[in-house]
Amino acid sequence: MTTTPTTLIETEDRRQYRATRRRDFAVDLSMALATILAALAIGFLVMLATGNDPVRAYEVMLTGPLDRSFRVGRWLEDATTLTLLGLSVAIPFRARQISLGAESQVYAGALAAATVAIFLPLPPVVAVIVPMAAAAAAGAGMGLVPGAMKARLGANEIVATLMLNAIVVRVYDYLVNGPLKESGSSAVHSKSVQQDSALTPLSDWFGVPLGRANIGFGVMLLTAVALWLLITRTPLGYRIRMTGANPDFAAYGGIRVPRVIEWSFVIGGAVAGLAGAHLVQGAYGRLEPGLAGSLAFEGIVVALLARNNPLVVVVAGLFYSYLRAGGDIMEQQTDVGTEIVVVIQAVIVLLVTAQALPNLLKRRIARRQVGVR
Amino acid sequence: MNEPWGEDGPAVAARQVTKTYANGVRAVRAVDLEVPPGEIRAVVGENGAGKSTLMKMFYGLEQPSTGEILVGGRPRVLRGPASAIALGVGMVHQNLMLVPSFTIAQNVVLGVEPGRRGLVDPKAAVETTARLAEESGLTVDPKARVDEVSVGMRQRTEILKALHRQARVLILDEPTAVLTPQESEDLFAAVRRLRDGGMTVLFISHKLREVREISDQVSVMRAGALVGTIATADATERSLASMMVGRDMSLDVDRTPARPTDTTLRVRGLRYEAPTGQSLHGLDFDVAAGEIVGVAGIEGNGQSELAEILAGLRRPTTGTVHIDGTDTAGLDVAGHRRAGIGYVPEDRLHNGAALDASIADNLVVDRHERPPLARHGVLHPGAVRAHAEQLIDQYAIRTPDPSVPVRALSGGNMQKVIVARELSAQPSLLIASQVTRGVDIGAMRFMYERLVDARDTGAAVLLISADLTELLALSDRLLVLKDGRLVARFDDTTGLTEKRVGLYMLGVEEHDRGRLTTGLENVGEEAP
Amino acid sequence: MSSVLDVVLSSAFLAAALRIATPYLLAALGGLVAERAGISNIALEGQMLSAACTGALVAGYSGSVTVGALCGVAVATLLGVLLAALRLELGADAIIAGIGLNLLASGGTAYAVYSLLDDKGGTSGLKSGSLPTVTLPGVENVPVLGDVVSGQNMVTWLAFLAAPFVAWLFYRTRFGFHLRAVGEMPDAAASVGIAVRRVQYTGLALSGALAGLAGVFLSMGYVSFFVRDMTAGRGFIALAAVFLGGMRPWGVFLAALGFGAAEALAVQLGSLDVPPQLVSTIPYAMTLVALALYAWRRKRRGRVVPTAASL
Repeated sequence: MTTTPTTLIETEDRRQYRATRRRDFAVDLSMALATILAALAIGFLVMLATGNDPVRAYEVMLTGPLDRSFRVGRWLEDATTLTLLGLSVAIPFRARQISLGAESQVYAGALAAATVAIFLPLPPVVAVIVPMAAAAAAGAGMGLVPGAMKARLGANEIVATLMLNAIVVRVYDYLVNGPLKESGSSAVHSKSVQQDSALTPLSDWFGVPLGRANIGFGVMLLTAVALWLLITRTPLGYRIRMTGANPDFAAYGGIRVPRVIEWSFVIGGAVAGLAGAHLVQGAYGRLEPGLAGSLAFEGIVVALLARNNPLVVVVAGLFYSYLRAGGDIMEQQTDVGTEIVVVIQAVIVLLVTAQALPNLLKRRIARRQVGVR
Repeated sequence: MNEPWGEDGPAVAARQVTKTYANGVRAVRAVDLEVPPGEIRAVVGENGAGKSTLMKMFYGLEQPSTGEILVGGRPRVLRGPASAIALGVGMVHQNLMLVPSFTIAQNVVLGVEPGRRGLVDPKAAVETTARLAEESGLTVDPKARVDEVSVGMRQRTEILKALHRQARVLILDEPTAVLTPQESEDLFAAVRRLRDGGMTVLFISHKLREVREISDQVSVMRAGALVGTIATADATERSLASMMVGRDMSLDVDRTPARPTDTTLRVRGLRYEAPTGQSLHGLDFDVAAGEIVGVAGIEGNGQSELAEILAGLRRPTTGTVHIDGTDTAGLDVAGHRRAGIGYVPEDRLHNGAALDASIADNLVVDRHERPPLARHGVLHPGAVRAHAEQLIDQYAIRTPDPSVPVRALSGGNMQKVIVARELSAQPSLLIASQVTRGVDIGAMRFMYERLVDARDTGAAVLLISADLTELLALSDRLLVLKDGRLVARFDDTTGLTEKRVGLYMLGVEEHDRGRLTTGLENVGEEAP
Repeated sequence: MSSVLDVVLSSAFLAAALRIATPYLLAALGGLVAERAGISNIALEGQMLSAACTGALVAGYSGSVTVGALCGVAVATLLGVLLAALRLELGADAIIAGIGLNLLASGGTAYAVYSLLDDKGGTSGLKSGSLPTVTLPGVENVPVLGDVVSGQNMVTWLAFLAAPFVAWLFYRTRFGFHLRAVGEMPDAAASVGIAVRRVQYTGLALSGALAGLAGVFLSMGYVSFFVRDMTAGRGFIALAAVFLGGMRPWGVFLAALGFGAAEALAVQLGSLDVPPQLVSTIPYAMTLVALALYAWRRKRRGRVVPTAASL
């Protein structure tokens, strides 16, 4: 048994190190692409095995969303919610807090936004902003509960967030079916938000029909940039990163770890609240049962795919929503069910979390290069 | 259950064994070692000499890169502990390998449980354990949970584990590090009894007195290689020490006599009730600016607790700590740092660094919200990087770039990052705990120079170490901790020998309270 | 208030409580086994769903309820092994891999049903049958007790036997002994020659099988069809029961039973003038409070709080 000694980074000079870093980055990037291709290939095989025509299905799925402008609109609208939810968990994940609470936060946000936007008459502009602020506050509050339980008491945040989800979803269901249900309507939904509270549709700006896509998309982009700045350019962001990297080290260095954990939950909750506001003031214009669907959990996937980097979350969110939108079109035009997209997404998650794979590859490349030298 | 052994020959042996780790570190170099049956063989050497790695190869936890391991006279390939156990090799690890929530009996039988058809017979487990304990003289309470018994009993449990597996070779890796002298005596008696029953014992230690007391022969390791083996009867502590040490560089640090000025650290009546670990029972001492005060003691006698209390990571139960006249009561960790405390923690992997974060980020944890790094709530990555470049240069941290994650650095280099951070904060009190543990000699020398520099520029240094040589080389004054109490105070370390300090560490001798508190102001009543 | 009492004391409620608690019991005990083996099985939900779907489909096509149920359990078992493999061989984070498996199950089952039956909703178009109930001769006619106990599905019986089985496994068998050691101190277990990975694989397989049985109950217990996403978060609730039950078999048993009873109560109270959604939040709210109290007590006792799994 022999082991090949690999070079220690510390003995490299700066040029070598940069080369290594570029190489590692290239490996990471190509691994990400390979992961997506592998997942698509698996989807291909599954479709083939179930007697469908995968070539046609992929053609529709991958070109469909750009086909007509309103489909682009659907994509952007979906991406807005999904990315915001991805961002909302990326922040606690950065502090290594496994918050699964986006669901409770997005519904709390939706309820808060709807309550203000339906019942509180406000002047224009303010009528847009106040419900959003209310939604962010409600989401933040929902984040604070498990955050404080974890930070102050050490209670398991996975269980706490799951329980809170279960509670809020049921309360939401009750409110939509009961007190907030539009009277006289046969379908179950709330009254629509006031005209002034609606987020301006993008169609008004670009002059082409873009479905329900609205300026919430811009809000999402701004939020992503703001969170990226928070993480990389502020002391709080530094504290979040160090708490995530090694909480004992953070505490030793004088960082108040419990407070940082709480902040990470609160910030994440506020962003998920915004996603709720987008659903109410933008996408649907009112409360509907099961408003957020499975987006809260898919947001987790998006965050993980992006390694919790806020800017990459946007890319991952757009990509993911593109697949979702494409899947729906595929189902309309072919016999293939849109669920294949979920399968593809799942395979991507499983491949991404298999961390040993890229490391194996990097080590192999490094070894080969050492051999060449 | 044991596989057959050869008729004669050594119980265990290594032939030209070399171990090179994946990161290029060569821990063991071409070692030839033979231990005949029924012998207590001490293997001595300093930290990092390769003792533990060699033993792990005998126990199948590591595999030699080249060379072969012999057990029972035959070459063996040990793929894991299971194959070593089957050959009759048992090992008691330095950090004990017991399941905390299991009882002692359950731990003893774990892996080879009595009982039929996949069932465990708890009664038989208790009986077996009691019988083994009786026969070997290793007293335990079979029904007690492991996390509720003393360290000494846990260690006896480990030995019983090996006996239950019918071990013929027993490896004890620094077994006395955590024991009281009485417990050590009992352990030695039991080990001798085992030897007389035919057991081969490998006894790892760096305490020469113990080695002389217990072993038949001594093998000395240095820097991964076997220096030699001599009969214990022929060995003196001096001869062993010269074989063990023989460093390339002399440990004598160039240092002028200290010029202590005002008192920087004042500790009075410090008590700490530890939920787990060692409590502190009323400590009184001062450290002045411009002196290095060493804290000696066998590990686990309260050093860690003392360091963490002074750094603000734990709160004392009663007593006061003043830094430059500031009472630290009620201050958080950041407050302690503002009051002027720098702390090099004993376990850099645990809380000294964030391994996956960059060197640059690791260097600013205590100052990331202050200018020049952050202004008006904005952190400037450029400033963080420049700060890192400067410290990398000043402290000769070997790295191609400040963005390298700390995990990629070797032990000594990693420690330099920590020392650079703590010293660049210009603390009025530096607590340096096990500052040279696991670092190479070059880095060791570097640390020593920096500590003396810090002292000469007016810092008070509290040096906590398990390495007596290091303490005697660096300390201007020396304190000895035992069972959470100060038991000795040497205001002049010139001419002080390791042996003499050892007597206090082991509790054979003790200074009276008058001597311990000489010259201290405002000392409270006698500590019981 | 008296009407609530009437409901709680009715034999219909007690019977419903046992029935509704069945999947929680099985899944929670499955989660317990995985947790004690040192790998959190957050994929309980997906394992249940896959088993429910496979069971209904196979039973429908093969015409054999037994084969269907066995296939369902087998698929869930495989998913357990897959989770272990991702964790142990590929260094995946157990939580993330679990989320991935849940997604896979959700998408895969829906896709399969749609492909095979051209139905978005479920397999109600397929005649798949259900697992038999157990009638106890003699007990059957005893008032109340007979109504509650007799006539329950065989899986319900299995669920209630699963708790003593897991307790027996943990504390009496060599395997359980090794499993607990591996989960608590893998180094210690490895150092005495226990094959840590093999134990973890077996534990996760068992965990998946128990979750699979829970899933099979959903689609083949009282109904005889699979509905898309019919687990409806039960796997996560079961996971909560694992922690709430203090990671001990009987504690988990009580917690899961509590969730079942509370849900049954919510259903029964639907007939009264109380919004069922609000009643059904009670167990979760109680769990949240219990979680906080439990953590607070532990903190006061000064125990070290374990840090969460890494991401």
